[in-house]
Amino acid sequence: MSDTGFWIVQTLNGVQLSLLYFLLSVGLTVIFGLMHFVNLAHGALYALGAYVSVTVSAVLGYWGGFLLAPVAVAVVGIGLYLLLIRRLRHADHMNQVLVTFGLIFVFTDLFRIGWGDIDLGLEPPTLFSGQSTVFGVVYPTYRLFVIALGLVIMAALALVLTRTQIGAMIRAGVDNEDMAACLGIDVDRVFFGVFCMGCALAGLAGVVAAPVFSVTPAMGDSVLIPALIVVVIGGLGSLRGAVVGSFLVGFIQTFGAVIAPQLAAMITYALLAAVLILRPAGLFPARS
Amino acid sequence: MLDVRHLNKRFGSLAVTQDVNLSVARGERRLILGPNGAGKTTLFNLLVGELASDSGEIHLDGERVDRLGVDARARLGLARSYQKNNLFDALSVAENLALAVTAARGLSSNPWRDTHRDASVQEDVERVAAQVGLEARLHHTVSDTAYGERRQLEVGMALASGPKLLMMDEPTSGVGPAMIDGFRQLLQSLPTDLTILIVEHDMDFALDLADRITVLNYGEVVFEGTPSEARESALVREIYLGADDA
Amino acid sequence: MFHQTALKSVTLVILLLGLGAYVQTGGYYGRELVIEACILAMLALSVDVVAGYGGMISMCHGALLGAAAYAFAAMTALLGWPPSLSFVIAIVASTLLATAIGAVSSRTQGIFFIMATLAFGQMVYVMIFDAPMLGGDDGMAGVKRLNLDLVGINFKKSAPFAFACIALLALSYGLAALMLRSGFGRTLSGVKANEDRLRALGVRVWWVKARAFGFSGLLAGIAGVMAAQHTQFVSPELLLWTLSGEALVVVILGGLGTLVGPLVGAIALVFVKHEISSVTHYWHLFIGIALILTVLAGGRGLYGQFEYVVTRARRRRAKDHA
Repeated sequence: MSDTGFWIVQTLNGVQLSLLYFLLSVGLTVIFGLMHFVNLAHGALYALGAYVSVTVSAVLGYWGGFLLAPVAVAVVGIGLYLLLIRRLRHADHMNQVLVTFGLIFVFTDLFRIGWGDIDLGLEPPTLFSGQSTVFGVVYPTYRLFVIALGLVIMAALALVLTRTQIGAMIRAGVDNEDMAACLGIDVDRVFFGVFCMGCALAGLAGVVAAPVFSVTPAMGDSVLIPALIVVVIGGLGSLRGAVVGSFLVGFIQTFGAVIAPQLAAMITYALLAAVLILRPAGLFPARS
Repeated sequence: MLDVRHLNKRFGSLAVTQDVNLSVARGERRLILGPNGAGKTTLFNLLVGELASDSGEIHLDGERVDRLGVDARARLGLARSYQKNNLFDALSVAENLALAVTAARGLSSNPWRDTHRDASVQEDVERVAAQVGLEARLHHTVSDTAYGERRQLEVGMALASGPKLLMMDEPTSGVGPAMIDGFRQLLQSLPTDLTILIVEHDMDFALDLADRITVLNYGEVVFEGTPSEARESALVREIYLGADDA
Repeated sequence: MFHQTALKSVTLVILLLGLGAYVQTGGYYGRELVIEACILAMLALSVDVVAGYGGMISMCHGALLGAAAYAFAAMTALLGWPPSLSFVIAIVASTLLATAIGAVSSRTQGIFFIMATLAFGQMVYVMIFDAPMLGGDDGMAGVKRLNLDLVGINFKKSAPFAFACIALLALSYGLAALMLRSGFGRTLSGVKANEDRLRALGVRVWWVKARAFGFSGLLAGIAGVMAAQHTQFVSPELLLWTLSGEALVVVILGGLGTLVGPLVGAIALVFVKHEISSVTHYWHLFIGIALILTVLAGGRGLYGQFEYVVTRARRRRAKDHA
């Protein structure tokens, strides 16, 4: 493969990883910014999406899992919301961190019990199973589909947030919860809707990631930290921040791994520390 | 001892402190008057460093302090009480005062000496508690005490930190006449070399005690003079006393 | 604010004596459990000092423990330095590292503090993981234990080693109690309650936080050096953020801000884990549920709840008498 070809492939890999992080962190950041809720179990919901899709697609094929897994994860999310999260909305961050940390323990063992402690795989759909040629390089078609899907969802979320009534309500809630409530916005209902949407997106991320990475009980742990970093770097509750943060982290990880593997992870954490200390509100603060 | 020169502060387009000049001599009791929103508490916040000024200078005993942090200014002898109680609610009255005494005596970084059993610390705690009339409430948790007692403790915290310049933000807000009397006696009993800046709404209480009066309006100093001059001034009457009479 | 109450003293003595008795009667496996419990208790104790008394929730204590363990391992196994000297240097290193992390992170609060400590902890993890000299993913073997032959103690045997762990746990508790009742310790409690007010009283809050974190790093360092000597092997898993999380879990289960609670939590966790794991592999499930229930029940934890009930009963009795 030519040198340029190598870099094109890496760029595509970077875009794909970034969009995956985006799908994960966008739900996390809005829940964070809107509800002031720290949900460490978000990574576990992503893994749940992957596991559900593995089981469902065995019967209904990939697209069955693609459609049902986000729904299943959202339903589990609703259960968590009613059982735990609603009670913790006004608790301090430490209790939120602890309970959702406990949920990671619970989910991880439930995955072990339900699906065993082995790496599972998911075949990409036949429609996208082969290789395609883009920009003069051969690249797995499925990964191109992941990129396209990520871009479509990003555009759709941007439209919803900036152009619709619901989007305005969400932005108002992030900016100033009390004010939004005074304006007659049912803040709790908006929260609930946003939370479900965030869970569904985490589930969707799990489905699309399953054919690329292997499905393991700990797969949520490996994406939780990058997703949290994206959220903090970008600024809690900021869509633009989630986009920029995802691409920063995704590209640093992808290109770091080939250019300077020793430094890649270090740079990500150093970036996080620098943002926290120099710009604690993130690069694109959502709150005025 | 306190010199404020051309101090300015804006919040967006709103000027909350405009070219304020203030010169207070050692031992002086200076009253800051002004209607609500005149920028009195903002001035306090600027003086102690809880707000950063946009321009101007603050000098304490000849030393420029306006670029120092809150804690550094406190160590130079600036102490304030708050208009809204700002205490350690889960701790006892004695523990609150002990924290202030510990800081004043430089024991905050001593990792060995038990300040609760330290005789000299406890002596200071009891002395201040007696000054503000809380000697019988030492071992009550702050959240269990009455509102008025918390106002007393608020002043006690500032006193316990051994200040050179004591700044009190409406110490009598929301308390009854008996307690106002107590505060008057307390202020009269304080050492005469202690400089005091006081923001107060209770005119009778304040005019009695003050050596000089500064009146703020819309963030500007509009009057400075003695209490009797203030009573005579048409301007002061109009913007402050007038409102009271009406 | 910390008070070494009679209840705390009695519980502490019972716990330490119980551990000691188990060293004598529990056989080799029992001694292993005691050692494991003591090391986890020391780590939890160090977390409680900053989290329970200073309000600083740390996600880097695993890394502090691991840094000390690796420093000790590198000095004894790679450089061939005497274990006693290495012991001291390793603890000084983790103290300095923790002070630096605390100083820089002190600018942040709440969830941002948690994230900042997570970032620094992960940086230490990555640095050690990526150093080929330190064995990378495989870890490093050949760590030496202290040589106490001079005083007639064979430190290679598990019983003396277990007793040493108990003694160091007692020492750690003593140091923490001494620190918490000092002017510094009480100021630290004030930082947790209302740091702005302390600043207005003239306290350098960031320096209080940094030093408290450093002290906590010292205790975590002791735990780390003992952990390295125990298995005579170190691996990057010691530094994972999940270990920091588990230490925090132990503190919560035992009782945050009680100082005795972390010991109760660590001992309970190690022994219950041992019991559960002979029945099922899924002990994380039980820990997770226990953690969630503890937080929902008010978050006092085992010892914290006990202390709360006893103190309330005593207060009620005093009121009845009056």
